[in-house]
Amino acid sequence: MLSIDKLSAGYSAIPVLKDVSIKVEAGQFVAIVGPNGAGKTTLFKTISGTVRPSAGSITFEGADLLSIQPSRRAHLGIAHVPEGRQVFASLTVMENLEVGATTAAGQRNWKQNIERIFEWLPVLAERREQLAGTLSGGQQQMLSIGRGLASSPKLLMLDEPSMGLAPAIADFIFDRLIEIRRQSGLTILLVEQRVAEALESADHGYVLEAGRVVLEGNNQTLRADDRVRRAYLGM
Amino acid sequence: MMPSFRSLAPVLVFAILYAAVSLSVTNSYYQLVMTLVLVWAVFGLSWNILSGYTGLISFGHAAFFGIGAYTTALGQIYFDLSPWLLIPIAAMLGGLAGLLVGFPTFRLQGHYFALAMLAYPLAILYVVEWLGFQEVTLPIKRENPFAYMQFSDGRIYTMLALAMLIGTILLTQWVERSRFGMALLAIKQNEAAAEAAGINTLVWKLRAITLSGAIAGAIGGFYAIVLLVVTPQSVFGMLVSAQALTVAMFGGVGTVWGPVIGAVILIPLAETLNAEAGTRFPGIQGVIFGLAIISVILIAPEGLFWKVRDFLRKRRPTSQLEPEKTSPAGVAPPIAAIAPATAGAPAKVIPPEDIILEVRGLSRSFGGLKAVQDVSLQLRKHAILGIIGPNGAGKTTLFNLLNGFLLPDAGEVLIDGHNMVGRKPHELCEAGIGRTFQIMRPFLRMSISDNVVVGAYVRAKTDLEARKLAEGAIARVGLSTITHRMAGELTTKELRLMELARALASQPRILLLDETLAGLGHGEADEVVGVIQRLAKEGVTIAIIEHTMQSMVRLVDSFVVLDHGAVLMEGEPEAVTRDMRVIEAYLGKKWAAHAQH
Amino acid sequence: MTQFLEGFLQALVAGLLIGAIYGLMCVGLGLIFGVMRVINFAHGDFMMLGMYAAFYCFTALGVQTAFGNVVGPFVAILLAGPILAVFGYAVHRTLISRVSGTRTSLLEGEGHYAQLVLTLGIALILQNGGLIVFGSVLASIRTPLSSTAWELGPFFDVSVFVNKARGIDAVVSLMTMTLLALLITRSRLGKSLRAAADNPVAAIYMGVDVDRAHRIAFALGTGVTAIAGGLLATNYPFQPFVGLEYVIVMYAGVVLGGMGSIIGAFWGGMTIGLVQQMSTIVLPTQLQNAAIFVVFLLIIFFRPQGFFGRMVERT
Repeated sequence: MLSIDKLSAGYSAIPVLKDVSIKVEAGQFVAIVGPNGAGKTTLFKTISGTVRPSAGSITFEGADLLSIQPSRRAHLGIAHVPEGRQVFASLTVMENLEVGATTAAGQRNWKQNIERIFEWLPVLAERREQLAGTLSGGQQQMLSIGRGLASSPKLLMLDEPSMGLAPAIADFIFDRLIEIRRQSGLTILLVEQRVAEALESADHGYVLEAGRVVLEGNNQTLRADDRVRRAYLGM
Repeated sequence: MMPSFRSLAPVLVFAILYAAVSLSVTNSYYQLVMTLVLVWAVFGLSWNILSGYTGLISFGHAAFFGIGAYTTALGQIYFDLSPWLLIPIAAMLGGLAGLLVGFPTFRLQGHYFALAMLAYPLAILYVVEWLGFQEVTLPIKRENPFAYMQFSDGRIYTMLALAMLIGTILLTQWVERSRFGMALLAIKQNEAAAEAAGINTLVWKLRAITLSGAIAGAIGGFYAIVLLVVTPQSVFGMLVSAQALTVAMFGGVGTVWGPVIGAVILIPLAETLNAEAGTRFPGIQGVIFGLAIISVILIAPEGLFWKVRDFLRKRRPTSQLEPEKTSPAGVAPPIAAIAPATAGAPAKVIPPEDIILEVRGLSRSFGGLKAVQDVSLQLRKHAILGIIGPNGAGKTTLFNLLNGFLLPDAGEVLIDGHNMVGRKPHELCEAGIGRTFQIMRPFLRMSISDNVVVGAYVRAKTDLEARKLAEGAIARVGLSTITHRMAGELTTKELRLMELARALASQPRILLLDETLAGLGHGEADEVVGVIQRLAKEGVTIAIIEHTMQSMVRLVDSFVVLDHGAVLMEGEPEAVTRDMRVIEAYLGKKWAAHAQH
Repeated sequence: MTQFLEGFLQALVAGLLIGAIYGLMCVGLGLIFGVMRVINFAHGDFMMLGMYAAFYCFTALGVQTAFGNVVGPFVAILLAGPILAVFGYAVHRTLISRVSGTRTSLLEGEGHYAQLVLTLGIALILQNGGLIVFGSVLASIRTPLSSTAWELGPFFDVSVFVNKARGIDAVVSLMTMTLLALLITRSRLGKSLRAAADNPVAAIYMGVDVDRAHRIAFALGTGVTAIAGGLLATNYPFQPFVGLEYVIVMYAGVVLGGMGSIIGAFWGGMTIGLVQQMSTIVLPTQLQNAAIFVVFLLIIFFRPQGFFGRMVERT
């Protein structure tokens, strides 16, 4: 479904991603792990279009993504749950979800989607008139996920959903994510720092370090590899 | 510092040419235009001193201009004083106004600064109107025209204006070349970095606005004398502020010749159109200025001067640029004689009394978030300490606390036993703390030497001494062979080394390096690591934040690991990278649990 | 005593009436600043164009003949809104978009300076171009309503007079404001605009066309302020430089309301109107504008985030 080929990208003079190739098949759960500064968030920004790559290509369902304007990419079926949640703080929970449903698919399937979102993430139903900026970190993360789901996506991309959250809450969100996946069969691309949690449910994993893919494999092979630890800690 | 002949020559040539042209003009209206060109050029230069060099755009320079104009006009009418005396007084009042305006207004950021500056002249305008000075006319003094600067021949005014322009150009050139100008440019590029390099940004900004206001006041006074009529709109109005801005921007921001070029082109154009078409199209002047501003900002935002200069520079073959000492093969030699990074440097034995920096119980929260929690650590002299931790652990916040950019909620930062909490960054730089930043903003159009010298001002009494210190710092990082190359042509590695040199120019005892290796490939990172190791051997204590662990483990003597703002553990690289708690912090609990085979 | 009370109430009423129009004027600027974070120096001059548009609709384009002198002006004023909205859209498309929007918001701190300067240039062209096209003769939109008033009272010997034209102006202003508020809060477009204002990057991720949102915000903001201008024109004569007189009112109102809050700008404008009118109780009339400056500078220095906005300031 998503094919990233020899992608290189960066900011002004500083290169971040170097020659990265990643594949996500329809229905798969792919995890990307790696230390900070490895380029994980830059990768997502390149897919979403807020960063322009210097080389390489991205294809989504056969279409050349790089030739499509950033604000159109969501309409293709790519939902981006950004790092740091990035909810619309001055809008209510409900309004956030409504903006999430800006896409045509989101509009069409609004009734079913909102029911399921409220079922999976009940706290959103409880607080639907509350200003998003006043929610707790964990609640904002759930709102951000709900917002992504509201667009009726084919691919859900999550950028470090556990960041800044207490482990117990992060675990809870992960469980919700797995449940959502089980019930909807959505294709998921997840970036995470917590390696084991990410790899546990994933079909396939990539380890990114200093802008390059240094390892890939499934849960079993990566778990046993000390190179993963070395990628994070250097020795 | 005496200006060199090379820079005086164009000024003299321009003066002679302009004098010659203006002397040949006999029509009194065009004589006036010749004078006005110079008046607006000087006004533009005054604007340039503040806004062109610091980047703080003033939309209210008419305030100083108008104060000067009214001082001169009213001073002559009510006190019968001569303009020869009044213009200097106008300058003083303009400078004072600048100081009074600058002090509170510099605290404002971005939009608010611009709006406040816009408000001042308009507010004064209303007050002046209310006071009844709708139209002030200077009395004709037939008995003693010279004493009252009233000449029948318009060309004499032009000569006087030319003298004022030359004076202002020389003054501006002196500013540009001295540490005054360099400090202002550093503030424009990156105010935080300038502070960290030891520049007292508030003081320099105040000096700039005072000088700027003084010049504007003086020329405003002269303007009143030339026109003999002063109305609130003509000296305090928005068009007046806009004209200062326009001639400077159109001609070139941040350079002496910019306002001159702008004035020479725009004013005759506007005045001629006004004269020819003014009755049919009143206001054609404003339209021209508006079009000029719009075209400049869209096509050549920095002005004509820079656009032309960049264009010419590109066309000149590189061999004609400043000679660099390159090896015969024409390839810049690698950074000379740096031992490559040695893996596993032997642990140094340092007596525990040599603690240069101590942090005790440092805490800082933002809203509900505890960014730094009760952090204590010690920096030993000549050691290299690595500060690591997962994303959001508080590493940069810690540096900002050490550097004076943030005030801690609790805790102390002790240097040589003295608590430095509460001191501003430039004071900490003076005390011996240097810092590099993650995002570099070099002066792209200036040489490495010019970029680095800014860091030396805190240590050097004279500009010459500063240059020496700068060259010394450049040598320490190994960039001496290309010290004259423009920053815009450097590679990422060279830019990082230049940043390092700037921090070294203040002769710090402690260096805080923030992601100095970001964006470097393996080989390049090794070179920079080598430089850092050498600095430590020379006696600099170093604390470094970095994500690229590969390089860090070979570079540092010990690590401090932060997680969620608190110290997780300290120790040597071997131990830290295998510690369960650290693994858990980076890779998650489940990984750590599983990895315990 | 009664004289003081009457004077006070009269000033209060005057403040409320003019405040309603200032509020609408400020909302226009607030929309632009709130959504796009662009300081538009030319906003007062767009308002001036709105005044002239209403004037020409009324006199030259037959609205007066069609609707008469009482209803006519208001029809013309409401027509001026869409006309200026189209003009604003065009200006944004051709000029403003080059120095604002998603292209520049990703650059470091750039854009702000260029926006200020660009809109300054536009202001100069509009003002002076206006002088060429419209001449310097004062114009106004005459309606017989401006010479009659309703009397409230007398209650205990105190009467307050409400000028009919100003009264209706305030009503029209409030109605426009209400419609706008409904659009912003209830409609999908309004939510997209607010999302784009709140967090443009996240809005792009959601598929909101942020550049288009900016264009619409600019057009709406211009149109709304044009209507406010037209309403002012029924009471005060105007000329091409009239925008300069109101620039400071607009900015003071927006800053007072909280830069970023669209609804807050309305209350800010209302407050400025009250300050202006009620300051005449203690200050000579010529200084009432100076009073606004003082308030403006005080806010910028002591409470730059404003008073009324409920928006959480975006980082």
